[in-house]
Amino acid sequence: MSQKRPDLLNKLLLRNARKGRLLSAWIALCTGCTLLLLSVMIWSAFRDLLNGKGSQDSLGSTFLTVSKQVSDASMADKNSTQISGADLEQIRKAPQVQDVGLLTPANFKVAASLGSGQMSFYTLLFLEAAPDRFMDQMPQTWKWEEGDQTIPIILSRDFLNMYNYIFAPSQGLPLLSEQSVKALGFTLTMGEGPGQMNYRAQVEGFSDRISSVLVPQSFIDYGNKRFAASGAAKVSRVIVKVGDPSNKEFVTFLEQHQYTTNSEQLRFSKMRSVVEVVSGATGALALLLIGIGALVFILFIELTMARAQAAVRLLLQIGYGPKTLSSYLVRKYIPIMLSALLVALLIAAILQFVAAQKLAAIQLQIAAVPGLFVWAAAGLSALVLGWQIRTAIRKALRS
Amino acid sequence: MHLQIEQLIPIPLQENVLARESGIWNKALSLSAPDYISIQAPSGTGKTTLIHCLYGVRTDYSGNILWQGKNLRQCSAEELATLRAKDLSVIFQDLRLFPELTAWENLMVKQQLTPGIDEKEIEDWMKRLGIGHKKNAPGKTLSYGEQQRLAIIRALIQPFQFLLMDEPFSHLDQRNTQIARELILEIVQRNKAGLLLADLDQNDFFPYHKTYTL
Repeated sequence: MSQKRPDLLNKLLLRNARKGRLLSAWIALCTGCTLLLLSVMIWSAFRDLLNGKGSQDSLGSTFLTVSKQVSDASMADKNSTQISGADLEQIRKAPQVQDVGLLTPANFKVAASLGSGQMSFYTLLFLEAAPDRFMDQMPQTWKWEEGDQTIPIILSRDFLNMYNYIFAPSQGLPLLSEQSVKALGFTLTMGEGPGQMNYRAQVEGFSDRISSVLVPQSFIDYGNKRFAASGAAKVSRVIVKVGDPSNKEFVTFLEQHQYTTNSEQLRFSKMRSVVEVVSGATGALALLLIGIGALVFILFIELTMARAQAAVRLLLQIGYGPKTLSSYLVRKYIPIMLSALLVALLIAAILQFVAAQKLAAIQLQIAAVPGLFVWAAAGLSALVLGWQIRTAIRKALRS
Repeated sequence: MHLQIEQLIPIPLQENVLARESGIWNKALSLSAPDYISIQAPSGTGKTTLIHCLYGVRTDYSGNILWQGKNLRQCSAEELATLRAKDLSVIFQDLRLFPELTAWENLMVKQQLTPGIDEKEIEDWMKRLGIGHKKNAPGKTLSYGEQQRLAIIRALIQPFQFLLMDEPFSHLDQRNTQIARELILEIVQRNKAGLLLADLDQNDFFPYHKTYTL
């Protein structure tokens, strides 16, 4: 005899599960999960952008260049903007400051030239070096040793923009793309008189973080010894890594000590605060919604079980153990919950991918796939929801 | 399997029970499988209450009921489920079938839990009791007599050491009663089990070893 074994527990316990209501409960749960994962995703993407792990962290960088204000009174004194060891120590101890690095200038004459004859181009130039840990651009060629004839350069993106949008159109000069600038090699002439030396220079990248013409620290150190009249470099600017640049105490510190900084970055830092409030509020809303979603789903389970109460009682009377019934029901409901979570993950992944594409167009880079935090949130949600479902089923079986 | 009853008094029937002489209520009894026990219980003496107490469905009693030395009152829900699935079977007076399942499904619910008897044999039992043609009929459409025969078969599907019966033939005619009791006896003997039958009147359905008046 070939009797197909029907799922009788399903018929007894879940027959009363209205499909429409199950769908509503599933949608509620899925919506809650999606919002939760999206808020984690938004938070995580902003975190990546703000903490500047990406190469182009132009959105609210936490790196600031700090220098002393030039006032009418200090104009006469050339050394008034110099940052001393004591100043440095003071900045290091300022609120929110996590790290401080010196921006070491070339203390010698530098001239850049390109081409020869009628098409030649010549300008005096300045050079600066920042410690590697403060660089947002670190090309592989970013090194210089004594004897090397080529010096890698990182140019502030602002300079190129100024050239392309202001200088070139007004002077009838050709526009230059980043690639074309990188392709151009030019000559740097260091020092004056008999000790003068020529080097080949190559632009290797563009920085959003530091407004300067940057060369490797090793070259500046060498040049200041080799070409400068007085060996010691006079440092006037430092680069500071701060937790929250919009922090009132930090801003007050800058004002009190008459330090000036790139205010644009402070504006971004205000945006960062806004973003944090917004993502925090989204997170709170998402938690509320996943709570409601879970509640709707659990209520659906409880309602279905209340409808099947007579069958549950009789099953227990004919020898079915509460554990057998609860594990059967858990096996039925957990995949439904997991499917809602999976769909939520899929939606989050698609949105992350789309967001990554759109942001790439405006020079902001976020990961194209959901990161660890999103997976962790999904895993945690699965555990919490699974536990809630199991508890609700066990409670319903006991009542 | 050993059943011990110690000074059992159902609380709702307390006054009624203590007002008259009973062979079971408020007594100490020791029964063992494969004893066949008959309990004569005129109306209102608590026959169904006794079966429900022994099966662990009711706990509103004073005194103790011990199966294999284990106090029923102290059994967890899981222990009770194991006792009911493997050692103790019952035919309720009110039959307690699943109205939403067919006759066959009502039996399969039990068979899937304790698959001791194969489906072929169960089908034979249905034919033997004259309900083979009702296999796919929904439980709620069966007559009382058909439901009773179905409840009898369901009780015999699981392994058991004691079979409790509460007026198991009340809706059956003499012929069907005869067939049903033959089947019950056959399976009880096969299981080397004991049985306890509670009925309103004196009866000779089974070769009883002991008879009590409730």
